[in-house]
Amino acid sequence: MHPKIEHKKMILIKTLKKYFLLTILVAFSTQAFSQPDGAKIFKQNCTACHVLGETKLIGPGLKGITDKYEKVWLKKWINNSSELIASGDADAIAIFEEYNKVAMTNFYFSDEDFEALFSYLANPPVEEKEVVAASDVVVEDGMKTSTQLMIIALVLLTAIFTLTSIKNSLKESLGQQTESVSGAVQSNIKLFLSGTLNKLFLVFFISVIVLKFLYDSMMGVGVTTNYQPDQPIAFSHKIHAGENGIDCNYCHTSARKSKHSNIPSANVCMNCHASIVEGSIAGTAELQKIYDAVGYDPDSRTYIPGYEQKPIEWVRIHNLPDLAYFNHSQHVTVGQLECQECHGAIEEMDVVKQHSELTMGWCIDCHRETEVKMEGNDYYTSMHEKMKEKYSGQKITVDKIGGLECGKCHY
Amino acid sequence: MTKVKKYWKGLAEIHNDPIVEKLKQNEFTEEIPVDEFLSDKDIPATSTSRRDFLKFLGFSTAAATLAACEAPIIKSIPYVVKPDEIIPGIANYYATTMYDGHDFASILVKNREGRPIKIDANKSATNSRVQASILSLYDSSRLKNPKYNGIDSDWNTIDSEISKKLKSIKNNRGKIAILTPTVLSASTKSLINDFSNKYNNVVHVQMDSVSYNGILNANDSSFGVRALPSYYFDKANVIVSFGADFLANWLGCDYAIDYAKARNPESGKMVKHYQIESTLSLSGSNADERIQIKPSEQSGLLYNLYTAINGGKADSRIAKIANDLLKNKGKSIVVCNSNDSQVQILVNAINNKLRNYENTISLKKPSFLRQGNDTDVTMLIKEMNSGKIAALFTHNVNPSYTLKNASEYNEGISKVDLTVATSIYHDESASKMMYSLPDNHYLESWGDANPSHGFYTLMQPTIAPLFNSRQFQESIMIWMGEDNYHQYLQNFYKDIDWNRSLHDGYFTKNINDKDISSFSSSVPSFALLKSNAIEFEVYEKISMGDGRQSNNPWLQELPDPISRACWDNYLAISAATARELGISNWNVSNGALNGSMVTLKVNGVTFNNVPVMIQPGQAKGTVSMALGYGRTAAGKCGNDIGFNAFALGNGDATIELVEGEFEFAATQLHHTMMGREIIKETTLKDFIKDPYSGNHKETYYTHNGPQPADKVTLWDAHDHSTGHFWNMSIDLTSCFGCSACVISCHAENNVPVVGKEEIRKSRDMHWLRIDRYFSSDMTKELSEKEKISPIDMYSEMEEPSANPEVAFQPVMCQHCNNAPCETVCPVAATSHSAEGQNHMAYNRCVGTRYCANNCPYKVRRFNWFQYSDNDKFDFNMNDDHGKMVLNPDVVVRSRGVIEKCSMCIQKIQEIKLTAKKAGRRVEDEDAQTACSSACPTNAIVFGDVNDETHKVQALKKNQRAYKLLEHLNTDPSVFYQTKIRNKA
Repeated sequence: MHPKIEHKKMILIKTLKKYFLLTILVAFSTQAFSQPDGAKIFKQNCTACHVLGETKLIGPGLKGITDKYEKVWLKKWINNSSELIASGDADAIAIFEEYNKVAMTNFYFSDEDFEALFSYLANPPVEEKEVVAASDVVVEDGMKTSTQLMIIALVLLTAIFTLTSIKNSLKESLGQQTESVSGAVQSNIKLFLSGTLNKLFLVFFISVIVLKFLYDSMMGVGVTTNYQPDQPIAFSHKIHAGENGIDCNYCHTSARKSKHSNIPSANVCMNCHASIVEGSIAGTAELQKIYDAVGYDPDSRTYIPGYEQKPIEWVRIHNLPDLAYFNHSQHVTVGQLECQECHGAIEEMDVVKQHSELTMGWCIDCHRETEVKMEGNDYYTSMHEKMKEKYSGQKITVDKIGGLECGKCHY
Repeated sequence: MTKVKKYWKGLAEIHNDPIVEKLKQNEFTEEIPVDEFLSDKDIPATSTSRRDFLKFLGFSTAAATLAACEAPIIKSIPYVVKPDEIIPGIANYYATTMYDGHDFASILVKNREGRPIKIDANKSATNSRVQASILSLYDSSRLKNPKYNGIDSDWNTIDSEISKKLKSIKNNRGKIAILTPTVLSASTKSLINDFSNKYNNVVHVQMDSVSYNGILNANDSSFGVRALPSYYFDKANVIVSFGADFLANWLGCDYAIDYAKARNPESGKMVKHYQIESTLSLSGSNADERIQIKPSEQSGLLYNLYTAINGGKADSRIAKIANDLLKNKGKSIVVCNSNDSQVQILVNAINNKLRNYENTISLKKPSFLRQGNDTDVTMLIKEMNSGKIAALFTHNVNPSYTLKNASEYNEGISKVDLTVATSIYHDESASKMMYSLPDNHYLESWGDANPSHGFYTLMQPTIAPLFNSRQFQESIMIWMGEDNYHQYLQNFYKDIDWNRSLHDGYFTKNINDKDISSFSSSVPSFALLKSNAIEFEVYEKISMGDGRQSNNPWLQELPDPISRACWDNYLAISAATARELGISNWNVSNGALNGSMVTLKVNGVTFNNVPVMIQPGQAKGTVSMALGYGRTAAGKCGNDIGFNAFALGNGDATIELVEGEFEFAATQLHHTMMGREIIKETTLKDFIKDPYSGNHKETYYTHNGPQPADKVTLWDAHDHSTGHFWNMSIDLTSCFGCSACVISCHAENNVPVVGKEEIRKSRDMHWLRIDRYFSSDMTKELSEKEKISPIDMYSEMEEPSANPEVAFQPVMCQHCNNAPCETVCPVAATSHSAEGQNHMAYNRCVGTRYCANNCPYKVRRFNWFQYSDNDKFDFNMNDDHGKMVLNPDVVVRSRGVIEKCSMCIQKIQEIKLTAKKAGRRVEDEDAQTACSSACPTNAIVFGDVNDETHKVQALKKNQRAYKLLEHLNTDPSVFYQTKIRNKA
């Protein structure tokens, strides 16, 4: 590798390391000094049966619950409701009777947790009708090329201006006729264009720019990076994968096993949404679409018998052409890649868009750089030793085991 | 004398209008004002100039291009509730049973997203028809709805009508007949029994399309068991077959596995196989010695053999056979294809005399694959015609097509009050019945089979019925007022571990041997006849069988291994007889084969314009024709192809040459190897002396002395020291040409069907072909001895012998490591892989066909047309149902690209991935291609030569191993093992 590039890389790595350390520090500090978060406790423990409004789910809506009951009583109820009922508490028995004699699960929260929960319940967040989009934070990863070019142009213009004024002042001192800046530029251009070679150079220069533009636009045909179609359900990965931290594999189960990473069937949604009947952004409107598909009545919490189920028609975002064979499990299970390496920060996307180019060049670049994860996989055991001999000192990348061969993806 | 009629074009012409004459001279009566138009000075000023036109053209093209850039919206629709066992992209395998009334096999079915797409062998071998039956499932010519008198009806109406009629028949004590093929299912037999208990007067008749009545009756009379014996070909030292094609179709059994076991030259011992026949069969072409006889001589020769092994004098033709048999008492098998029970009793007597029973042949453990009874069928037809039958139920039989006396049967149908056919097709017979009810394909059905003593297989549905069909057993139950055959079946086998057996696909029962009496028949005697007549014989092709699946385009296009012709049946004739009759075959300018046509008269039935093919190996004075063709109600692709040989039957033939020529579709136009060592062969004797015999390497003269091709090379060798190196070994000794691999390859790799016309242009698309070579009387040695000029020698070499030795050679892409195709591709669409394969990137190919031109093995296929979604190629890929059989892991190639064998790269990638995920090496048994997995005799072995646990590694070092056209130094990854014949 070129020493200069090597140097640049070193600097980059150093910077990255710094940021990495900083991130870890911040992460630790937030962890160490965090207070119990009432909202979090509520979301993790209560939402399966309660909402913050007045709607009844399995249990009552919790709006104004702290005003209705004593904190001590609430603590008792939450810790062990059946004990409270057995003790003959009138309120407790009344609730038990009202909700079809379904006992509430026991939760053993600490006093701090209770306080946090109660304060959250007492002051629920105000529902915002319109979600204000987070301001776009542009991560500056170095100056953009256009800015650089403009600065260069500015510097050159200043240079011309300065040189002309120097020349003028020199001429003035010699008593010669001075010329204006624009005149100087014009005469210089005329002078420049009077040479045949210069003309040729200019033509060449312009045609290179035009060709480059043409090439880029042609190569962009069929590349659908940032493709972000409207989906039939406004499903937010940000909420599910990001805020709630649901593992990708929970829904996309076949990514580890099969060539396809499946779009989860509606019954997987129902694992949670049989009880979570209200979403945080769109309320019940979007969830109703799942219920329409499977035939579920969120009010009575029952499946409608004899319902003709209607599949949800998602719009496919990542469309590899049929002539290319791609296998998720090869990359996820064997190659141990994170989903985000190709799909980007899905956990931050409300609406998913295509992150990578999905062009052959993109595939091949990665195959050239990615080291094969041979350690601990007996499939590679005998191969590994021989490979290490063959490519002594080099990384054994995917291309070295045939990852660039046509027939591996095209058959 | 012919009258010259005059026609008028109109009234004007009758009336001699002058304008008529004017119009004859000039189409336009008035001058077209071209000059006037061109001289118009305003033209340049008109709004649309030529330039404008071009501008518009350019603009619209650009607009269209831009509009096309927008990606189409592709929907992705998941299940609402995903079935647990289905993971999209991963195949499920189900063990089941293939039985369609003719072929039986215990199979594994590969299912992708609920669609069966491929059949593999489970507990028996698969032949080409079993492999192809997956496509018959998706046949859109199947009977889709229950019909009453040809009009679509519904099940409820039909069920209530039939039940009502059955009740009234029962009340009137009418006779009910059930006509089925051999029923292997014990539960079905029990159901029929229940049915007959309910409706009293019920007779069940079993009918095999190709009758084995003779051998069944002979065993009944000799041993008191009306069943087929089990043959153990692997235990025999001598096999003598009188016309029985046991390697292909005889008894519907997979004897090839055992036969191959008995022919392992490495063990130093090979079974000696004599075949005495008139039609060159698959077994005959693999025999060590083949004797040509006329069919009429068969019984006489058999009797002669019987007397010879009893100490009499043998006919000169079979003296050696008698001798060999006597030397191998208890270790020989004599079989015969005759359907005459007297002849079969004679065969039993010979085998009994040779003490073969319970050594190499067993009737104590019989086979039940054929149980049809000709007497019962004849009786039934008689009773139908005399009005004694009140109701006729048929299931999966086609008597109107397969019976010789079909017209009698058809007449009988009209005299039966209630006729009900349950059938997969609205075929020749079903269409004549009152009710014609769609039956499930076996892949949609529950069932069981008991093919041999103590061995049972289970059948389970692998897909929900595609059409409005219902299986026969379910129907029978409904007409008895019951339902749920699945439950019935499960109850029927209460004593077994149901789930385990269903998973395995089979189970065995320890049951006592069948009681048989000792041989007790008077041995019939036959005189050795000498007939001058031309004798006609029918035979079964490995592709078409009895014609049950004749609407299957894969089978229609499968070349017959012997004649290499497809899409037809024809009269096979020997070269000598053809000369006598003035019959000839010739090649037209593009190489395609044409032949004479004749009028054929056999047993009082005449066929006109029958094509004749000159078939080396056909006995002189005999002609034969394949069954299974001449269908009229098979479906769009099987109808009106060839002639129905069922209608003729065996007998003397009168042949008359007629005017006209017939166009054959043959995939191999040459018969011999012309003295080249394409197939290397030797005899067992020489092989034992020198394992390298017949496998000498050709050398080049160099300054270092003679050197083999790989030492005189311009190529830089590929480094195959690390990773996999996939190789394939093909043993020519155990390849019998059965062609199961060809169909397996079709199914696995989405190989298109191109049709007869294209085949004639040598545009067949088979990735894997089985070349067949006949030996010639002329050899290089002979020409040197007899001083024959090279020109005469080569022209004589082209002619195969009258009774040639036959050899088969499967040829697919040889995956050369020094590939001639790769170097000539201008766009690098074909390239070499580190794992030893020659890759082909279809989307990169521009169709120059340089590679096909430069390939010495001629294995590259060009897509001259779009074969999918093209009405001109109206086969399975132009059909929504037919397309369901396509393998989703393999691209369907489009027009203008070359394709070829990929060594099943999709399968290799899959097994590698499975191994990687499991963290283990690739096991030998996992390494299979479509062809190797379909090969019943394991002639094709695939694996990684860099892995010492893979069999192929040892095979590569074997003394018999050689590479095809080795002197070209293409260094293929496919290699062959020399063919060893057990002859003196």
